[in-house]
Amino acid sequence: MLDKDKKSICLVNGSLRGQKASSLEFLKDIERRFPDMEYNKTSLTVKAKLKESYPEDILKSIACANAIVFIFPLHNYGLPGSLMRLLEDYYQYIKVGNKYNKDAKVYMIVNCGFFRPEINEEAIRVMKNFSRRLSLNWRFAICIGTGPVVVMTKKVPFFDLKLKRAYAEMVSDIKSNSREKRDNYLIRPLIPAPILIRIKNYYEKKGQMIQRNHKPQQAKE
Amino acid sequence: MNTLVILDKDSKTKLSEDLKGKVVRTLEEKGHRIEVVELGKNDVSPCLGCLLCLTKHPGECVTKDIVNEIKKNVKKYSATFYLTPVLFGHFSSTIANVMAKGTGSHNWQVIIGFGEDIDDEEKNTFIDITAKHRGKADIVHPGMNSQVDVFVSRSIEDNTIICEALKTYAG
Repeated sequence: MLDKDKKSICLVNGSLRGQKASSLEFLKDIERRFPDMEYNKTSLTVKAKLKESYPEDILKSIACANAIVFIFPLHNYGLPGSLMRLLEDYYQYIKVGNKYNKDAKVYMIVNCGFFRPEINEEAIRVMKNFSRRLSLNWRFAICIGTGPVVVMTKKVPFFDLKLKRAYAEMVSDIKSNSREKRDNYLIRPLIPAPILIRIKNYYEKKGQMIQRNHKPQQAKE
Repeated sequence: MNTLVILDKDSKTKLSEDLKGKVVRTLEEKGHRIEVVELGKNDVSPCLGCLLCLTKHPGECVTKDIVNEIKKNVKKYSATFYLTPVLFGHFSSTIANVMAKGTGSHNWQVIIGFGEDIDDEEKNTFIDITAKHRGKADIVHPGMNSQVDVFVSRSIEDNTIICEALKTYAG
């Protein structure tokens, strides 16, 4: 039962990796910063299989929220297909006339497999477009480079201050009625880029990924 | 030349049907042998992000669906065309799932987004999300070669212009 005097927060986990998901770790981090006494919290996870569209109760919990936080991994430089499916279904749900909170604030926490968090830029633009289409109140994004590494090292004392600051900023922004424009937070991993690039190269070679100067073979006729 | 055309069957509109017809006709005139695959939301399972296609069994997805069959024959195709509706500047969920699994030709990919109400920012987002990270990117993922062309159609006239552009290098 929702307490109508409390602010409602909807946290959407856009990863299908279950308990192994870095996104789930970031979701838990942000969720515990909102006391149960003060907030109605709903956590959702995208689904791999759906018979038709997302169930109405899921779409309704997004529609009723005062703040929506999308937490997901970068896929193909954009959103995971399963999260895109949720946005499609939600958009359709609103288009047919269902009520929603137009003042809802929208945030995102995106993590990618690349060292540079800037590579998440287009995913942010998609979320901004989503917010603009529905006249929602886009706020800001926390972009995390090499998400799994940040998860592994976030318990190292004094090293994850920027991530903690970003979380604190998100919490205070949700609490406040501010509409002032905010900058995105870019979080880099603690492990230096050359080491991560060596690991990446190893797996790319092992996984037969195509390198930059790859010359394709003639296609079989 | 064998060419695969993949399109989202759940988002058929007058615009998308016109686009499909014109693209197929243009390519056939240029001597391509076309195979059209129409996929819906329930035909393709999403990428789980397990990375087993990268680490344990390279190139092979743990979820067995039609995408696996397409990938088996990917070397047969000289080009892959994706026709996708554009929503918020992004591919549809179906096409996102197909692309995330690396179904595209390793030689040439063409991604055409369509939608009558795409605004300028959505159009630019779509172009950047597809073109900006290919070719010039640090790495190119499986099935994403350096030659990727991106178009956006918002009208029947745009479809004609896109097909005229295709004629210049689809031969």
